[in-house]
This record gives sequence, C-alpha cells and structure tokens, in this order.
Amino acid sequence: MNPHQKSHEQTSSLPPSATPSAPPSATPAATPSAPTPARPNHRFLWISLSVLGASLTVLGTAMAAQQQGTDVALATVALSKSIGTWCAALLTIGILTFLYRDNPFYKVCESILIGVSAAYWMVNGFWSTLVPNLFGKLMPGVVRDVAIPSLPVSATPGFDMALAFVPLLLGLMLLWRLSPKGGWISVWPLAFIIGTTAGIRLVASIEADLLAQASATIRPLVVFKETVLVGGIGAGSTTTSDPSVAMAASVQALDFWGTVGAVTGVVGVLSVLTYFFFSLEHKGAVGKSARLGVWFLMITFGSAFGLTVMGRITLLAQRLEFLFKDWMGIS
Amino acid sequence: MLQRTVPMAILSLSGLILMLAYFSPMTTSWGETVLDWFNILAAVAFVLGAGNLLAVNLEKISSRRAGWAYAAITLIAFFLMLGFGLLKVGAVPNAEHPTVAFAGGYETAASPFGWTYEYIFSPLTATMFAMLAFYVASAAFRAFRAKNIESILLLGTAFIILLAQTAAGMFLTGWIPEESAFAFLRLDWMKVAITEHIQTAGMRAITIGIALGVVATSLRLILGIDKSYLSKS
Amino acid sequence: MLARLGGIDRRWIFLAMGLSIAVPILLKLRFPEVPGPMAKATFNAIESVPEGSRVLLSFDYDPGSAGELQPMANAIVHHCAARGHKIVFMALWPLGKQMAEGTIKDVLLEFHPTYTYGKDYVQLGYKAGNEAVVKLMATNVPQQYSTDAAGAALASLPIVADLAKLADFKLIASLSAGYPGAKEWVQYANSADPEAFKVISGSTGVQVSQLLPYYPAQMEGMLVAVKGAAEYEMLVTAKYPSSEKPALLAERLGQGRVRMGPQLVAHLLMIGLIILGNVAMVAGRARGGAR
Repeated sequence: MNPHQKSHEQTSSLPPSATPSAPPSATPAATPSAPTPARPNHRFLWISLSVLGASLTVLGTAMAAQQQGTDVALATVALSKSIGTWCAALLTIGILTFLYRDNPFYKVCESILIGVSAAYWMVNGFWSTLVPNLFGKLMPGVVRDVAIPSLPVSATPGFDMALAFVPLLLGLMLLWRLSPKGGWISVWPLAFIIGTTAGIRLVASIEADLLAQASATIRPLVVFKETVLVGGIGAGSTTTSDPSVAMAASVQALDFWGTVGAVTGVVGVLSVLTYFFFSLEHKGAVGKSARLGVWFLMITFGSAFGLTVMGRITLLAQRLEFLFKDWMGIS
Repeated sequence: MLQRTVPMAILSLSGLILMLAYFSPMTTSWGETVLDWFNILAAVAFVLGAGNLLAVNLEKISSRRAGWAYAAITLIAFFLMLGFGLLKVGAVPNAEHPTVAFAGGYETAASPFGWTYEYIFSPLTATMFAMLAFYVASAAFRAFRAKNIESILLLGTAFIILLAQTAAGMFLTGWIPEESAFAFLRLDWMKVAITEHIQTAGMRAITIGIALGVVATSLRLILGIDKSYLSKS
Repeated sequence: MLARLGGIDRRWIFLAMGLSIAVPILLKLRFPEVPGPMAKATFNAIESVPEGSRVLLSFDYDPGSAGELQPMANAIVHHCAARGHKIVFMALWPLGKQMAEGTIKDVLLEFHPTYTYGKDYVQLGYKAGNEAVVKLMATNVPQQYSTDAAGAALASLPIVADLAKLADFKLIASLSAGYPGAKEWVQYANSADPEAFKVISGSTGVQVSQLLPYYPAQMEGMLVAVKGAAEYEMLVTAKYPSSEKPALLAERLGQGRVRMGPQLVAHLLMIGLIILGNVAMVAGRARGGAR
C-alpha cells in the first residue's frame, strides 16, 4: 500500500537470530539454554510511558499558553521546540541502538512509529480525500458548515450524491475484511480496485513502456556531431557546394563515441531481451546473445548498487547532521 | 453469482471503461468517475490498515502474548495521533472562517498533530531508513564475491560508480584532458557512459519485459481468464 | 588472520560506517562539484520555460528520503521562484505535503518574500490514489482537487482558477522516492500529452535505474541522487544568488554539497570492505586447501 509500511515490516521482522548477539547456530544441546523470545521489560516500559506522558503534559501546557497569546508565547514556542528536539534525538538514538543488539528501547521506538504512522495515514486520508471527495458529495451542506466552508457548489448535486453512494458502499464492503465472516463481500471492492488498476496500467504500459521504449531504441546507429564543419574541424562554418569537400566534412564530423554508445544501446536492449526470452533454448547464437545480455544486466546492477549505496549514506548523513547540529549544537 | 459473477463483472467493467475512456473522448467523464471512486477507496484502505493494526495488537494484548506491552504502546501512540488529527486538537483557526470547527490547519508544529509529526514521526521514519547504510556495508563485506566474470563485471562497475560519484573520481583521473583521445579513461566519462548507455539499455529491456507482463496480466484479468483474486473470499 | 576476517562481528563494520560518515561531517569536508549532463539538462528545462509559467511540483517523498530529495526540492523551488514561475505544490505521498510545507517556509518565503499565496503559489496537498490521481488530473484537475489543501475553492485562487488539466502546466517536476513518483508522472501525465509540458525529476539513488530509460525523450531532466542535487545546487546558486541573505542561501541550497563530503570516505570504505571480503574468502580457501 505504501512503501513505508513495507520497509517497517522488513525492519521489524528481523528475527532475534539476526542480531549480532545471537549464537550463530544453536546446536540441539544448546537449545534448552537458548535465550527465550525477548520478554518486555515492564519497568522500562512504565518509565517510557511516564516520560511520554510528562512530555505531552509540558507540550500541552506550552501550547495552551501560546494560544492565549500571553507574553510567554515566544518562550513557550522555544520550549516546545527544545522538548521536540530532545524527543527527536532520543528516538533517533533509540532506533540506532538496534545496531548493537535488539533491546526494549528500540522496541518502544518501533512500536511508537507503527502506531503513529498508521494514525497519520488514516487522518490524512480522511481529511484530504474522504471529506472533500466523498462526504463533500454525500452531504455538502454539513461539510461546508463543519469543515470546508468554501467547498464549491456542484451544478448537479443530486447526481453527484447518487454517484457517491457507489464508493461509499464499496468502501464499507472493503472494511468488511475486518470481519471474520463474509469474506466474499470485500471481493467486490477488491475486484473494482484490480479492474481499475488493470485498465489504467494496460494503456500506460503499452504507451510509455513498450512503444516509447521501442521508439527510443530504434535510433540511427551512426551518430554525427550536431555542427557539420566544412573543411574539417576548426575550419569554420563556411558552406560549399563542392560534393567532395562536403563528403570530407561529414567524415570529420562523425561522433565516434556517440556511435559506439548508440550501437551499445541497441545491442544491450536486444541481448537482454534475448535473455528474457525463454521460449527458445539458450544455445548457439541465442545462447551467446543471452550471455551478453547477462553481462549487460550485471553492469546495470553494479551501477544500480553504486547509486543505492550513495542514497543510503546520504540518509544516514542527514540523521547525523541532525544529532550534531540541531541537538548537540555543533555548527 | 454474488461471490463470482458479480466481482468478475465489476472488474471487467471498470477495466473496460478506463480503456474505452482512453480511446473515446465521449467516455472520458466515465473514466474520471471510476478514477474518483478508486481514489476514495484508496483512502478507505488507510482506514482498513488502521483497523488491521488494531485487531492484531488488541489480540496480542488480550492473549498476553510475548511483547504485548509493546502492542499497548503502539495502540497508545495510534490513538493519541488519531485523536489529535481527527479532532484537529489545537489546530490553527482558518483565517477566513475562524468559527468553523474543523476548518483549521492541524499539520503545523503549533498543533499536537503537527508537533508529533515533526519531532516523533519524522525522526523515527528517517532513522529507520538511515539504518540501511549500515546493512548495505555489512552486506557488501559478506556477499560481494568475485567468483566469475559476471560478478567481476558487477563489482567492477560498482567500483567505477562509487569512485566516480565522489571527488575521488576527479582526484584520480581528473588530470586527463577532457578533449584528449584518452578522455575515456576518466572516471566521470566512464560513469556517464555506463549509466546513459549500458545501464539505460539494461533497464530499457527490463522495462519492456515488465510492460509486456503488465499488459498480459491486465488482459487476463479484464477478460476473466485470471480469477485468482476470487480465492481471497 | 586474513581467513578469520570473514567471521568478524558485523558491529565493527557498523562502527566503521558510522565513523566514515560522522567524521567528515564534523570536519566539514567539502569538495568541488562539476555539473554533469543530467543536472545541466534539468537546469535548462526550468530555464527554457517562459518566465512566469505555471509549473507543478509534486512532492512524492517523505522524511525517510528527505536526506536525498530535500536539497533538490530546495534548489528547484528557488530556481522556479527566481524565474518568476507560478508554483503549484501537491503530493502523491501522504507525508509529501508536509515536505512541501517545509520547503515553502524555508526557501520560497525566505528568499522570495513577495510570493503571495493564491497568486504566485498554491498548495493543493495530498490525495490518496497513487497513479490514479495523476491519471485523473491529466483530464480533470478540479474533479480531483475541488479545493486547495486549506479548503479554499480553486476558482477563488487566481493561479489555479482556470486550471482544467495537466496540459495547462508548462512543466511538471516530481521529487520522487519510489512508488508513486516520477515513473507514474511519465506514464500517466507525459504520455497523455507529450508536447504540452516538460517533465523533470529529482530521484533517490535507488530509483534512478527505474527512470533512466525515460531520459531524455520522456523526461527532459533528471537529478540523480545527492550528487545530482549538489551539481544542480551549484548551477542554481551561481545564476541566482541572494543579495540579501547569501549565508542563509548557501546553507539551505548547500545541503547537497555538505552531504557529498561523507560520500567520499564512505564510498572508499565500501570499496575497502568489498576487497577485504574477497581477500578473506581467498585466504579462507587457501587455508582450507592447505589442510
């Protein structure tokens, strides 16, 4: 559904044996003494909850003072920011502690993240999409009075309302998935979602990924430089009607590396496609082409790896910048 | 009928309407209506996700399974954030309509929802992703082995890109003049050649392959040949 | 000894990686960047659109990718504003709206205080639906966005009052961390009307491979990971400096270059780790063979 959710699941689903502290392989003899699944440290839990509660109380007081417009407004904003920065720093460190070993501090941070992110998406989906696009059509008057005063007035409110009952019904049927019985009910909205996705992807894939990519591949293999200089490179841009001179000029303007690049591009696409083509046995010329395709793929993946590393390092650099600069004040 | 025929009809109809909307301008508005419904369902899916989270964690707590206390923390965080957001607690009043109860902005750091985003959600999610830098290093040490020509190509390319993407590329080969016949030995030149010609070619073939797969799967679904989704009931 | 290296506790590798990034940050290592062809193409795409054009910036990322994409977002917003473009902000990711809000506050209003809401820029916010949002906007923006993010009717905001479909934009830029993102903008927006507007993107290192086939025919410009951001920052700040707040501009449009410092050391560490891993493997085999 969301890339985030996937990554959290991946991270949180690391088995205890993946942690450095776990024994590399538990022998049968060692099994009885092997550590049992991490039990929550309740003392730690209550301390965490108390800290969270205290932070929220201070935050609430600060915000109340700020809204009253008192003289301390500026000070409370600064206080709210300071508390926030400390919270953010502790949570950052909490996640990083997993690198040493799995621990309750990390688990608390992870649990908060899961709860907060699910609520964030739901709230965002509700106010940004459900209220204006669904309830705004079902009961525009109420929505105008309560949430969106400037909601445009439809020319056909009755028709809009009738149409909006379809997603309302499908939405309720989708939520039926939470019920242990009547699983087939949620298949209707699922069928709608799958059908819509198939309908738009079919056209988009043909247009942007099949035809456009084929068109980008079918290009002249011999590439010339944009400016054709008569009489050789550096001789100026004088034109001539003498065909022999023109021929000499065009030879001079051949873009060697551009040509190599164009040929490489075509050969690469065709050879990799040959590798993906499983209807023919990869023998003889087909086998050689497929082998070449594998080489192209390896270079592709090597490059992708290099770029991925760069991305990962940047994300860590940003967190360390936050700790050093915003939290510790090292500018 | 209700369990098989109707969903198959819904799927085919929605898919066909969108395909038709592409080819016939007269049916564009039909396609727009279908897309509008789809987007509303996408927002409902967030509610469904939250409902699933509730169900899983409540079950964990009620059966006192290992780690139930963390499930409790998840739920507390969830309900706090949900309350802040849905009720727009402490929202900045709408400048033009200050009296309308839920017209205010709830996402600025001045409101609890915005504050929680800024100082709790944002750092947590950013750090979760930052952890990948450590794992990619560990994986590189343990998994990247030059065993055959394919892996050597992969490693060699990775080295070129890793060097060329940083100042090392200029330090090592920046002295080779760009206009000379040996310019192809410059790491930055190699990087551009690899990404714009070889990697692009490889990814183009993969893209074409995926597109063919998407087209085939979509057609199978719309024509009612693939019915695997019905088994979800 | 080399053979035993293979069994090293991975926490040492973590420590080395942490130090290779932390130390250059603390030492403020910075290196000059030479703009590459893709960064130049992105810069030229924004330059080539007539001054004061209506452009759409889609923030398709969240704090998890902000380290890479925020520097690009900052530079693109400053560049567009310096060209006097009318900027429409939106998001395909739930947290993208927050990222756009941050950029508006830190860059747009900081360096272009004359920019007025509704006249020069507008925030449409997030809508659920992923690529279906783009597909619907391609033909009918008001059906997708009946109001802006704050609830004001589009008709009341001059910049979007006559906005009917995506073809009414001159340029679309997606700051993309994955799905949905730049790929969907090419597939569903550019394909619908290839001549109407230019599409450019700033993408994370992970997503670059996916987008390369679209450059340059379907996507005129592309900023590749933080290096692309650093190169583009150089081009933008060189042409559009701030006479009033030069230091602040250098900071806000210097994040990409700051984050290039740790890259050198960390990349060398990565190469060292791969070589060490292979040496350990060879040594282990030799030892096994000797036995």
